[in-house]
Amino acid sequence: MASRQTILIIEDEKNIGNYIETIVISNQYKALRAKNGMEGLSLCTSHHPDLILLDLGLPDVDGMDVLKRIRSFSHVPVIIISARTQEREKVEALDQGADDYITKPFGSEELLARIRTAMRHSVQLSNLMTQEQKYSKAGLEIDFDKRLVTLEGKEIHLTQIEYKLVSLLAKNAGKVLTYDFILKEIWGPFADTDNQILRVNMANIRRKLEKNPAEPFYIFTEIGVGYRMKE
Amino acid sequence: MKQIDKRKFWKNLVVTVGILGIATLASLLYFHFSKNSTSVAMIYVLGVMLVARYTIGYIPGIAATVYGVFVVNYVYTYPYMNINFTLDGYPVIFVGMLVVSAITSALTTKFKKQSQMLNEREKLLMDAEKETMRANLLRAVSHDLRTPLTSIIGLTNAYLEAPESMPEEKKIEIVSGIREDSNWLLNMVENLLTVTRIRVGDARVNTSPEPLEEVVSEAVIRFKKRLPQAKVNIRVPEEFLMVPMDAVLIEQVIINLLENAVYHSGTQDGIDFFVEQEGNVVAFHVRDHGKGIAPERLNTIFDGAGMDDNASGDSHKGMGIGLTICKTIIAAHRGTIQARNQKQGAEFIFTLPLGEVKQDGE
Repeated sequence: MASRQTILIIEDEKNIGNYIETIVISNQYKALRAKNGMEGLSLCTSHHPDLILLDLGLPDVDGMDVLKRIRSFSHVPVIIISARTQEREKVEALDQGADDYITKPFGSEELLARIRTAMRHSVQLSNLMTQEQKYSKAGLEIDFDKRLVTLEGKEIHLTQIEYKLVSLLAKNAGKVLTYDFILKEIWGPFADTDNQILRVNMANIRRKLEKNPAEPFYIFTEIGVGYRMKE
Repeated sequence: MKQIDKRKFWKNLVVTVGILGIATLASLLYFHFSKNSTSVAMIYVLGVMLVARYTIGYIPGIAATVYGVFVVNYVYTYPYMNINFTLDGYPVIFVGMLVVSAITSALTTKFKKQSQMLNEREKLLMDAEKETMRANLLRAVSHDLRTPLTSIIGLTNAYLEAPESMPEEKKIEIVSGIREDSNWLLNMVENLLTVTRIRVGDARVNTSPEPLEEVVSEAVIRFKKRLPQAKVNIRVPEEFLMVPMDAVLIEQVIINLLENAVYHSGTQDGIDFFVEQEGNVVAFHVRDHGKGIAPERLNTIFDGAGMDDNASGDSHKGMGIGLTICKTIIAAHRGTIQARNQKQGAEFIFTLPLGEVKQDGE
């Protein structure tokens, strides 16, 4: 790696900030700290970080506003740091352009995995031509060219909708996709906002892909938010 | 007070006039065909009774009686369109109607007062129940929070007092202890946070239909994140089931029960966690293969009781608050929760009503 990637941490809580900084630095990233929203915004414009970790509960401005303002001038990947009980905020932040979220309390492994995923997807976005042709993970293979899904070498028969769903998740593997986002992508912009149809389809997919639908291995549910495929 | 009186007055007036109007109409029709004035009087008696039943106080009933007596006399008895009180048997009708109205009003007034009293008493009882629940919860909280906090403070003091002379493994032991207790505290706080999702007024939750398997799998994943070494055998129904619930709360219940099974069974054997549809409820079973629950604790295990007798030792893993919260959550879903002993080990079962299958989803 030529230059170390910079991560901006916008978090008012000193201890949590220290904790994240320690993890990030010990994994060869450069860290920038901001303890409120305005400082975060100015650091973002002056230093152009490669990724931002944003806490939603900030002392000066709402984290959601910070996100909106960052998005008005930059596509830098943003990962939201949230508390577990704030599902509504999480979904709103994702729909406002955040790339992913991580729920407090989190371990270092989880945080680093999210950072890697978000960085990788931002690289993909910036050169669309090299997008992967295949998803391959632990026995499950999806060939986007041939529209072929195989599990341990055996072909899996999916319906049109089911294939679209699986490939959408696989192309964004590791990243959470909200119900709304998926509905719009698969059923079009005028789709019913009721996510029942999506969840029934997911249940069918799970029955075809997973050994035990109650212990999914490939596709995980984030209740109240959306789905995430194993990376 | 005055405004209420005014409202009462208007309500009385409307009801009285309305019922008497209907009675008059009915008797006119009836009289037109049969010319029987005794039956007409009966229609008015009925009217008076209804007035007395649906108004407040005695006055409307008596007014209706007077009206009825005059109208029957004036219109329906010979000589028509004339007042004549000397008619045979007339005083009997008059007195009869008066008595009927008086008794009905008296009875309805008394009845209304009684039901009001009953309502009040019920409300008081419900308040008292909520109060006990809250008190139990607070007691459990302060107990369950104090123990790990004491240990954390103690451990940090021990380290700060003699950091140089302490052997390396002792330091690691201390930090591990702090981590374990903090994890426990965090779990406790999450439990408490979930309770804030239960509406205060009616102790209910906002439910939406959720796919059973998704809730189960997310709960188990979160549980495994905390206790990776635990073994759980999971089984859900083959068919796709949507169950109305607050998913965050139900996940918390599942996690609490699984954790209890790990900490209290006294065995490393796997836990069985399976869900079955039983008629119009789904039943969640959490079974361990450990030493079971002492029979004398079975009845009070969800009430936060029974934590005093093990208040020493490793009581920060006491079941106090977790199960109290489980019960609160399940009750708010109109479900049931119970504990029992198997041949080998304990079993916790909670049920959630499936509700009617709604087409509109929400």
